[in-house]
Amino acid sequence: MTRPDRRDAGQIRALHCVLGQLSRADGSAQFAAGDSSVLCGVYGPVDVRVYDEKLDRAHIEVKLRPATGLPNTKDKWTESVIRSTFEREILCHLHPRTLVQINVQVRQDDGAVEAAAINAATLALVDAGIPLRTMVAAATCAVLPGGAIVVDPTLEEAAGAQSVHTFAFGGDTAGGPLHVDSRGDFAMDEYNACYDICATTAERVLAFMRSAVEGKIAKEALLVGAS
Amino acid sequence: MADIKAVLPGDVMDTGAAARDGAVLRLGPGLVQADERTSAAAAGVLHSDGDLWWVAGNRRRYVAAEGEPVVGVVVARHGEGYRVDIGSAHDALLPLLAFEGATKRNKPSLAIGTVVYGRVVVANSFMDPEIECYNSHTGKSEGYGELAGGFMFKCTLGLARRLIGSTAPVLAALGSELPFEIAIGVNGRVWVHAEGPEKTVLAANAIRNSEYLDAKQCRQMVKELLAR
Repeated sequence: MTRPDRRDAGQIRALHCVLGQLSRADGSAQFAAGDSSVLCGVYGPVDVRVYDEKLDRAHIEVKLRPATGLPNTKDKWTESVIRSTFEREILCHLHPRTLVQINVQVRQDDGAVEAAAINAATLALVDAGIPLRTMVAAATCAVLPGGAIVVDPTLEEAAGAQSVHTFAFGGDTAGGPLHVDSRGDFAMDEYNACYDICATTAERVLAFMRSAVEGKIAKEALLVGAS
Repeated sequence: MADIKAVLPGDVMDTGAAARDGAVLRLGPGLVQADERTSAAAAGVLHSDGDLWWVAGNRRRYVAAEGEPVVGVVVARHGEGYRVDIGSAHDALLPLLAFEGATKRNKPSLAIGTVVYGRVVVANSFMDPEIECYNSHTGKSEGYGELAGGFMFKCTLGLARRLIGSTAPVLAALGSELPFEIAIGVNGRVWVHAEGPEKTVLAANAIRNSEYLDAKQCRQMVKELLAR
């Protein structure tokens, strides 16, 4: 089996990220896997509308804008996925009566954009210094009609796939997934295989994100040491 | 700096011998305790000083903490005090009498938009922060109060902390070239005042440019700005 972009079945696309790109957001990150690219800006903790105010924790708001056009139902679903994933991982109780706003802008959609959005949101939250229980990383894989499983599918592969699975994990994948999204027809053993592949992939994504954040910390720490 | 230990959210902290001896650990910003484990909640460099541990990272959004000097802008006036925007989630309250020598009959009247330098006296997550423009123990202003004239700009909290800790080389580089006044708020707001608008803007630009420069580069940058 050859993939359209000549990757191996278990090979993810080249990852790329930039931290603190937006000058006015409290934290921001761009995360790209191949041609799928997502920009995320985080504001918080900021003042909250009275309607959303919670007396014991921060309110999490997620806004997702697609690459083209207005947000549709699927984008709204992705928003709710990101919110429910991070509501448990952000230490909301440390900043009661405030708002943490996560703005996600899809720059280019070439498949696995939900996973990219979750990864970008993690990096932006870390950049903003929002207290987190753990880092979150997500990965996607697809089961093709022949039964072959490919990781990090492009839009073309996902469109022709039998089923597509996205999993998000906290820092320790052994602790189980934080979010599961499986679409299409699949058997239990296919699901389990996808789970294992995505867990391994999420660990690699996490290692990539870790090195990116550590690079930024080292740059600033060296500066303090030098002066 | 001897050792740089970068930690990320979720990293379990190795408190070493201290925890095994059953000693009390005091956790500062960026660290949380869950069950038996102490882990980082923010990304940054792990520091320890005796039994005190904390994570130092750079950010842009201020979260008020007691005793910290802040620069704010008056946004409203109420019967009991002013509302001051200090960049945190909620505006701070500045009581009408929290100034040096203020009495019920004789107290400063601040217009909306006035820049003030104050100290946070009440900061907890369930209440709006409160600041005062004098030391309530001595009754002296100690440099706090209205900042007239000059120019206020924003910077990252990391830069503000370095400026106020005098570890930022830009202030020395700037001070050797021109006289200026400065009020640094750890909320990432800095007010500068020099002779005339040109010099004031120059000082502000120099400080803003200095975030990622070392001492030599700072001197060079200041010289270039002055030569323009």
